[in-house]
Amino acid sequence: MENLFTILFIGLWLGGIYGLVSIGLTLIFGVIRITNFAHGEVLMVGMYGTYLAYGWLGLNPYLAVVVVVPVMFVFGVLIQRVLMQPLLDEPLMQMFASFGLLMFLQNLVLMLTRGASLGIPSSGRADNLSIAGINLSLGHVLAFVASTVIVIALHFFLRHTMMGKAIRAVTQDKRAAATMGINVNRIYRLTFGLGTAITGVASVFLTPIYTLSPSIGGDFVLAAFAVVVLGGMGSIWGAYFAGLIIGVTEAAAGFYIDPALKSAVWFLIFIIVLIVRPSGLLGTVGAEEVGLREQH
Amino acid sequence: MSGDFLTVSGLTKRFGGFTAVDDVSFSVRQGEMISIIGPNGAGKTTLFNMLTGQIEPSSGELSFRGGIINRLPPHRRARLGLGRTFQIAKPLIALNALENVMIGALLHHKSVRAARAHAFDVLEQIGLAQRAFKRASELTLSERRRLEVARALALDPQVILLDEVMAGLNPTEIGESIALFHRLHRRGLTLLVIEHNLAVVRALSQRVIVLDHGVMIGQGGAEDMLTRPEVVSAYLGKRREWKPS
Amino acid sequence: MSSISGISNGSPAATDMQRLRRAAVHEPFGRIVGKYLFGLSLALVPFGLLFNDYYSINILTFVYLMAGLACAWNIIGGFGGQFSLAHGVFFAAGAYIPAQFYLKYGVSPWLTAPAAAAVVATAAVLISWPTFRLRGPFFAIATMALNEVAAVLANYSDSLTGGARGLLIPFKASFSHMIFVERWKYCALMFAFMALTLAVVVVIRQSRLGYYLLAVREDEDSARASGVNVLAVKLWGMGISAALTSVGGTLFAMFIRFLDPPTLLSLPDIGVKFALLSLIGGIGTVWGPVLGAFFIIPAENFIRASLGGLPGAHLVVLGLLLMLAALFLKKGIVGAAAALWRRVRATP
Repeated sequence: MENLFTILFIGLWLGGIYGLVSIGLTLIFGVIRITNFAHGEVLMVGMYGTYLAYGWLGLNPYLAVVVVVPVMFVFGVLIQRVLMQPLLDEPLMQMFASFGLLMFLQNLVLMLTRGASLGIPSSGRADNLSIAGINLSLGHVLAFVASTVIVIALHFFLRHTMMGKAIRAVTQDKRAAATMGINVNRIYRLTFGLGTAITGVASVFLTPIYTLSPSIGGDFVLAAFAVVVLGGMGSIWGAYFAGLIIGVTEAAAGFYIDPALKSAVWFLIFIIVLIVRPSGLLGTVGAEEVGLREQH
Repeated sequence: MSGDFLTVSGLTKRFGGFTAVDDVSFSVRQGEMISIIGPNGAGKTTLFNMLTGQIEPSSGELSFRGGIINRLPPHRRARLGLGRTFQIAKPLIALNALENVMIGALLHHKSVRAARAHAFDVLEQIGLAQRAFKRASELTLSERRRLEVARALALDPQVILLDEVMAGLNPTEIGESIALFHRLHRRGLTLLVIEHNLAVVRALSQRVIVLDHGVMIGQGGAEDMLTRPEVVSAYLGKRREWKPS
Repeated sequence: MSSISGISNGSPAATDMQRLRRAAVHEPFGRIVGKYLFGLSLALVPFGLLFNDYYSINILTFVYLMAGLACAWNIIGGFGGQFSLAHGVFFAAGAYIPAQFYLKYGVSPWLTAPAAAAVVATAAVLISWPTFRLRGPFFAIATMALNEVAAVLANYSDSLTGGARGLLIPFKASFSHMIFVERWKYCALMFAFMALTLAVVVVIRQSRLGYYLLAVREDEDSARASGVNVLAVKLWGMGISAALTSVGGTLFAMFIRFLDPPTLLSLPDIGVKFALLSLIGGIGTVWGPVLGAFFIIPAENFIRASLGGLPGAHLVVLGLLLMLAALFLKKGIVGAAAALWRRVRATP
């Protein structure tokens, strides 16, 4: 019983991180209906950016949010405009392009940093709990809080602002939205920017916790996809709760099986969800079939 | 029973709260030519989609050639002899016209050579033989429509479902198509046609089925159906007396 | 048939039609074999030229191998339109299994290669069965996850794969060991592999399966309405593709004689590379993957050599190339060449 409680405890904090990382992805997925394989690398770039802000500007990493988030927003808009927008009707080419982006970003950072491992010796690491092969710290708690704040803020944004409603309109039926005078491509750019900015927030909160390396994106991207699929494509609350579920599952797997096998566990969840209930917990049924095809 | 060639009983399709097709039942005899008419959104294409297996019915039964086909996947129904065209023509763009038709021909003509020959024959029937080597992307709209029909014909179907194949064609092309369908009908093909063009409906129906808002509001001879008040009002709205105020 | 179309027999129009029909039905069998042999001879030219250059022969060996692997991927990825990132797993399995049988029981890789291929193909089909329900990108993600899991398991399982330390195959040259002293023999072996996969691709392209794969790629619903069993077609394509990839893995294992998870299961280096080569060369064409390999592999080596100090530099270039190709060179080299040829033919 005690074990169960411990697992839940760790799992939730871990889950906060997964949710944080995935909310941006599910937003982009849900609205623009594109797969961005480079999502992990975007996160990684944000983390290095945070480190830069810390190293060059002497900013407390958490305050770096002010700098990192706007830059990430612009970065996201650029990616959408330059890479994704021309390929909106070509899902196969989108996959190639986003994989190219993945390789480009990952190795660019590798090249620039010569593969040196970087880490922030911040106070966030001071209070460490080590349970079942997972290190917990204050940083985790803060990440959880950030995750919750973001999903609530995003919820209000989407429900109660004009921009948010425009985004939801485009998600439901982009042709109809266009006839209402909504510039669909602009909304797409905005959404990608927003999703990337949120990922920027995630980067900021992750940097104090993890050791930076160019490949850290890869560690997160599969978990992020698993969260997005489990929660339902496009559902931000789905991503939030699915993140928690996956966090707990990983903690349980780490405890009962072996921490090294955690990604095998994600994969299994992933595959099972995709086969049994592809629309995820909170997604619309059939979305994954229509998936990323043009809405007729 | 002679009526049991293609039978639809109690067919219903609900999308969430919206009922697209509501308890539709009718029977088609082998060799009949039937038109299905009704205003936009009446559920005609949904009906076709359930017949060919693209969509699963919410309830109801479909039977074809004496067997219930509810559980059969689309490619098996094609194998049984159910062919169709799609409302939005879906040619295989990277292939040429001949290859497009070959895909259907390969069903019953296993060798590529035989399939090629059969595909060419079908193209000739349709009048597209000259364009056999053109990529599907290079064909005109009317040619693409005919290609759609050719692809369905290549299956050697017993029934063919034609979904608004005349849309966008000029009168000459329409005349040619009607003549083609009559030729095929005389050779024993059963036709189920969704159509808006009333002249086409008159030319291609031994029987007309009328759908409105998913409900079958009547079936019978063409002239009879086309002049019934409820059919007219389904298309045009209710007749109202204009009273000056 | 002429009675239906309304053209009377014997008229000029009828003989035109007959000629057209003959052209349509006639399979240019001779021409196909001719093109195949011609292409292979062209591919053999560098082999003759660089025979004695150790460094170049090594690169050419890789070129032939990757060409074959890209051709194998292209069967399901290019013809079938299913973007699989799982081929790295088939490759790795084809490397590990015969390697272990050789190391532990001394069985010749010539014997285990086909057996491993059969096993891998079966596994590929079983895994793909539920996964093919997923459309496009979701399928890609699932296969990417598969690669990830394989990498984790490979690192984890010391007994099966040697874990993170990997497997080292000692150098004991003999034909039955598939280990050679002279580098050119490896090169010839890889050439044979490429010739084999190309032959399979050519045969498939002209067959019922080939046409069905194309139909599935273009429009699944349309294909179904034309009587195509889409799932069966995809599974066949995947099985054949996986089997060939596995064989390539075996050859690779005996060539490089050191196997570890980063070498075999790195997505950018292996899994995506097959797709990349196919795209650059011309996805869904017969010769595209070969051209892609001939262009990219030497270029990659060149970049790696000249920018040696900078880790990851060649992958930066490859990533950039991939993005540019997706945006501007979708039909690959083959497509660009074909378009150019059409333009040249059209101008008076």
